[in-house]
Parts: sequence; C-alpha cells; structure tokens
Amino acid sequence: MILQGLLSDNVQLTELLSRLESIADGAELVAFMEFLVDAYDLKTCAYLGFDVTARPEQEPYLAVTYTQEWIEHYKAQQYVNIDPAVHIGMRRILPTDWENFDLRSDDVRRLFGDAIEFGLGRHGISLPVHGQHCDKALVSITCDAGILEWRHRRLQYMRDFQMLALYIHQAVLRLEGRVVEQMRLSPRERECLQWAGEGKTAWETAVILGLSERTVRCYLEGARYKLGAANNAHAVNKAGKTSLLSQLP
Amino acid sequence: MITIVEGADRDHHPTLLDEMFRMRAVVFADRLEWDVSVTDGREIDRFDAEDPLYLLSLDDRTGTLQGAVRLLPTTGPNMLRDVFPVLVPGGAPASPLIWESSRFAVNPAAFNECERVEANHVVNRTTIELLCGIVEVSQRAGIEHVVSVFDARMARIFRTIDCAFEVIGIPTRIGRTMSYAGVFDMSDAMRERLGEAGRLLAPVLTGVEPQRIPDLRHA
Repeated sequence: MILQGLLSDNVQLTELLSRLESIADGAELVAFMEFLVDAYDLKTCAYLGFDVTARPEQEPYLAVTYTQEWIEHYKAQQYVNIDPAVHIGMRRILPTDWENFDLRSDDVRRLFGDAIEFGLGRHGISLPVHGQHCDKALVSITCDAGILEWRHRRLQYMRDFQMLALYIHQAVLRLEGRVVEQMRLSPRERECLQWAGEGKTAWETAVILGLSERTVRCYLEGARYKLGAANNAHAVNKAGKTSLLSQLP
Repeated sequence: MITIVEGADRDHHPTLLDEMFRMRAVVFADRLEWDVSVTDGREIDRFDAEDPLYLLSLDDRTGTLQGAVRLLPTTGPNMLRDVFPVLVPGGAPASPLIWESSRFAVNPAAFNECERVEANHVVNRTTIELLCGIVEVSQRAGIEHVVSVFDARMARIFRTIDCAFEVIGIPTRIGRTMSYAGVFDMSDAMRERLGEAGRLLAPVLTGVEPQRIPDLRHA
C-alpha cells in the first residue's frame, strides 16, 4: 500500500501499527521511533505532545531519537524558546518543511547549524496532530538525502507520517492513561468494509451500494482510521476481531 | 489569487483576518440570517480558536477581500462532529486524510458596485477560485477528501459549476433551510473540472511551488 514507496522491503505498515499497539512504556516508544528512522532512512524522529494528560500544568510529553548531547545542548541553549519548528509547526494544519523557515534571525540560524552538527538531518518536516479533545502534538523527522532525492521523498514522507504521527500520538495518550475512545463505525463504513472483506474493489463496492467510487474511498478511509488500520485488509481483520462488522444496523 | 493564512501566520495578517470576520458577520448573520454570534461586527466562533487554515481570495489588482473559507482537520474539533452530528447519525467522518471546510463566503462588498451581470461573474469566479484553492491546498498536504455542511443554496451552486459532491448521512432541516453533509474528492479530476468551469487552469494559490502527492491509490 501507500508506505511501500519508501519503506525498506521487509517492513509493512500493518506491522508498524501493530507494534505501536503493543508499546508499554516511553522507552519502547523511542525504540519504535528508532525503528522508523531505520525503516524510512531518516536521521531522527521526534514527538512533542501537548495536553496529552488529564492533569493540568503538565510538561509537554517528549519522545525523541536525538542523542543525549543534543537534548542537553538544546536545553542549555533554551532553543525551545526560539525553535520555529515548535512555534510555527504547532499552529499549522499543513505539514511544515524546515526549508521554509525564516533564517534571518541569528539565533534560528545558530539552532539549525548546531542541529546538523549534533547529527540531525539537513532536511526536516514537522507534522501537526490534532486530537479529539484539543490535545495536540508535533512529529518532526529529519533526513540527510540530497536535495533532489529529498524533494522527491518529501511528499511520501508527509503522507505516511500524517498517519504515523496520529497513531504515535494515540499510543502516547494510551501510555498516559487517557482513554482513547474506540470509535463506532457508521453503517456505511461497515458496509464498505464488509464488501472490501469480500474482495471487492472500491469501484465494485460503489456499483453494489449505488454510491460513487470516491465516496466509497472516503468511507473506507474513515473506517481505516477508526480502526487504526494500515489498509483495507488490515481494517477488515481488526473489525472482525472486535466483531464490529457483525453489528449491523 | 488565493492566500493561505494559518494560525502561525495570524500575526502577519491582522487586518486581513479582521476583514474576513466582518465579512462573515455580513454574510452569515445579516444576509443568510444564520444562528451565529456576532460581537463588535465580527462573526467568530470557537473553531476559529483552533488555529484553522483560512483561504482568502484577494483581488489581483486591489488586494481587497473577495471571499474566504476555513479548513479544519477531522481528527480534532470540527463542525460536523461537534455542531451538526444530527446530519450524520452513524458518526462524522474522521481521518488524517480528510479535512472539513466551513464558513465559505463571498464578500458582498466586492460586487455591490458592479452591474448585475458583472456581479454574477464575480460571485462565480470567486466561488470557483476558493474551491480550486481547497483542492490545491489539500493536495499539498496529501488530503484526499473534504467534508462540509452546506445548505440547499450552496448545493445548487455546486451543481451549476460542476463541483461534484456526494451527500453523506441524512439531510435535515435546520432552522429555515435544508442542510446537507457532503464529501468532495480532492482529485486532479475535480481540479480540472473546476478549472474549466471558472477558466482557472493555472494554480490559484499564491507563492507556492507545485507540490503534488503522486496518486498511489491504485498502486
């Protein structure tokens, strides 16, 4: 499916998502992110979550694959106060390419210079996550590919990490004891998924249900997200396990 | 042309956004008589506090505001889920690949002075330009569908300009008008149809390098 463009051959998105579900603590989450770095040929991966716990005044949740040296340097220099990835990225719904940051400020130029010195990639993007209850997060990835290769990969990174970022965020919510509501499938989502389970394509399902193909795709997207599934087959499988498909109206 | 303003850019465009909130008051409270709250002549709701993405249509020569629309991720707070759940009894669509559009408005002031025939042209052109902007910005972020709540009047406009949508859930009378929840496909085909309807073949977003997500849905 969508991820195979960039993932190394022996890794599937389905596998990534089931690994996420079994994560039991922060260390395992970082290990998972390190696995992503390898699988996607990245330099680093970082997660920063706000309002992920029900406790007020809680510090943001941080999970990063950065070296301890960079974390300490970043803290000592108080880079969090000027880091545009944090300040701009968090207030967007579009993914932010670090190339577009305003480098006119000396501090910001120094931050990115230091970052490369401490082993971050030359290119980076930050993807905002908007959760159900005004909880927010930012997932940033860096990569050291050449500029042309980066431009080519960036679009696929964006798309894959739109999904991965959200699922990492949900794993953090779970670790922090927040109840992630199991979302109900709508009748149409169930129907479309059932037909996908029968091996029908979106086009065939559209004909069967008298819908347009794009609407069937939209229902399937919704169903995949609600089930935390990588693709339609994965969604059918997960829905079967939780017997969501049998709850017909 | 269409300018993107996100939460992070708000401070750079204070007057433009203020103008948009005033325009929304005129359109939604005064003209359409929707049940919206207007304070100091500005229509602002709780979703404007969620750092949405605004698309603003500005006149190429004068820079005046011709229209605007607001986009929100469906994974977070959005109107269909939180305000109009009655339209989707089975639950509102939610996915990182689906956004919601709301507060779609064409500025009455932009065509008040025009002749009637010319005014219709401005309305149509601005409407189509905003819709093209939605498709272009969605494609930049890998978004595949946009959902929206709209009334019978907008449904007629969408049909006139060949902007295909499919109703999801159950259309319901809310206040004086029938309301629909619809889904729009953010595909090249959609952009082409709109481009032909409005003779807008070149990108409408300003200052944006073309960024296309390859269509891997059939891969």
